Amino acid sequence: MSFLSPSRIRLIAANTFLEAVRQKFFNSLLFITLALVASSTFFQQFDFGTSELKFIADFGFGALFFFGSILAITVTTQLFFNEIENRTALTMLAKPVHKFDFLAGKLLGVQLLMLAFVCLLSFVLAGILYWRETVLMSQFGPETFSEGRILRYGDILIFGFLQWLKFGLLGAITLFVASFSNTNIYTIIVSFCILVVCQLQYIARDAYGDMEQGVGRLLVQGLGLIFPNFQLFNVGDQLLFTSQEALPAATILRITLYACVYIAGFLLLAHLSFRRREI
Amino acid sequence: MKFDHPILLRIRAVVLTLVFLLILGLLTRPLEAPAWKRVQAGQPELNLVGMEGALGQGIIVGMLGGFRSIMADFLWLQTNVVWQDRERAKLDSMVRLVTSIDPRPVFFWINSARMIAYDVPHWRIQEEGGYQTVPEWRQAAIDREQAEQAFAHIRRALEFHPDNPRLYLEIGQIYLNRLDDPAKAAPWFLRASEQPGSPYFAARIYAELLRRQGKNAQAYDFLKGLFLRLPDDEPYAQKGIILERIRELERTLEITPAEAFNPSRNT
Repeated sequence: MSFLSPSRIRLIAANTFLEAVRQKFFNSLLFITLALVASSTFFQQFDFGTSELKFIADFGFGALFFFGSILAITVTTQLFFNEIENRTALTMLAKPVHKFDFLAGKLLGVQLLMLAFVCLLSFVLAGILYWRETVLMSQFGPETFSEGRILRYGDILIFGFLQWLKFGLLGAITLFVASFSNTNIYTIIVSFCILVVCQLQYIARDAYGDMEQGVGRLLVQGLGLIFPNFQLFNVGDQLLFTSQEALPAATILRITLYACVYIAGFLLLAHLSFRRREI
Repeated sequence: MKFDHPILLRIRAVVLTLVFLLILGLLTRPLEAPAWKRVQAGQPELNLVGMEGALGQGIIVGMLGGFRSIMADFLWLQTNVVWQDRERAKLDSMVRLVTSIDPRPVFFWINSARMIAYDVPHWRIQEEGGYQTVPEWRQAAIDREQAEQAFAHIRRALEFHPDNPRLYLEIGQIYLNRLDDPAKAAPWFLRASEQPGSPYFAARIYAELLRRQGKNAQAYDFLKGLFLRLPDDEPYAQKGIILERIRELERTLEITPAEAFNPSRNT
């Protein structure tokens, strides 16, 4: 039985994607997120400080990350444990399917789902921003918009792409947790805790960066190395507006490679843990 | 001694996982460090000290979700409720919380500084018995205390918005309107006028404050320079008013017509 078979991974991924799309949870969350992003102009009434377009963009980016993270963790957990609880994993793994193929297929299927989620949300957000910018342009005239549109719409795709990578990493971490845990709920809670740590580890690193050499500093440095830095993907503040310098391609490439290395790493860890597991 | 005990095997698995992740972290550091430097430079700093009181209220969850703006907006509404109820201690923590969550909007900084500098002294004086009962020295001391708090607050704002003229103007206005100290207010109006996008009135007020302090010659020189720098086609520049003040100062300083300021000659 060969290790890492693209055709088997593709088959498992396609099935996982179909199963995920049919889930009520995905559809409900997608609907809530789309409704929330579409209603961002309403929430704008509660805005006090930022410009309208900036507020809508922040709101959309926030919704993308917040609901995307919930989706990535929950769907990965559900799909993994469905296979175990329904005993379909037994049938599948009894065939010439390597456990690594099973895990990679699951992750790829979830990533396809996340791609659909990210694309839908990005297009809705771009549409709303385009509509509001057009309204503002006609309201304030060419003096305010002397250099044309002030938004770079391609940046929404860049943000979406980076978030998609982060969801991939989050999915890989969730698979790793699922590979040794026995219950859905344990996997979800631990994965959310890891998400919080990954999201905030940069603060600890920054805060203890100036500390004198000691146990505390070593611990924080270790923490910074063990947990991936999710804040790296939080580039929403630097995108979209033409008045801001665009994010360099080299930075995007580095973040992409960083995510890919970690996804591979966590997938490998998940495999090492899962291969000894009795199903 | 046997090393295949389940607990030992589990510990070994945990240690190996941590070592693997450490190595992965070290390997990815050359990728992460330059990217992080670039990304971090564009992110507003998150001050967790200001958020201590809010932990556990779901704020961190919202923050993690990226809803920084909307979170700060709703907390600002809550701050206004606290302000309406005149809850002084709570107002202080709410103000710190809102500006820690989203330090980007200048609106939060300026309006909270106004609450601290203008409203809180009034509440404190009322609490101590009212304007008729509290001696003037005590009222002045309260005003100074609150103004100092507001200045510290605006100084924190300047760390995020070092070029924003409205923040310099706010310090100047507190000195002028609350502490009635034109000498200390003047330099802040001057600094405001030097920032990019500064309103034209900042420089005019600076000159007026110099005049109020009796520094007529300095005000005269400043206004002459200002008049020459201002554009002719901008109504908000109010060059006509500036010329009027120059003429008034010439009369006060008894400058002869031959030495008087002549815009066409001095350009």
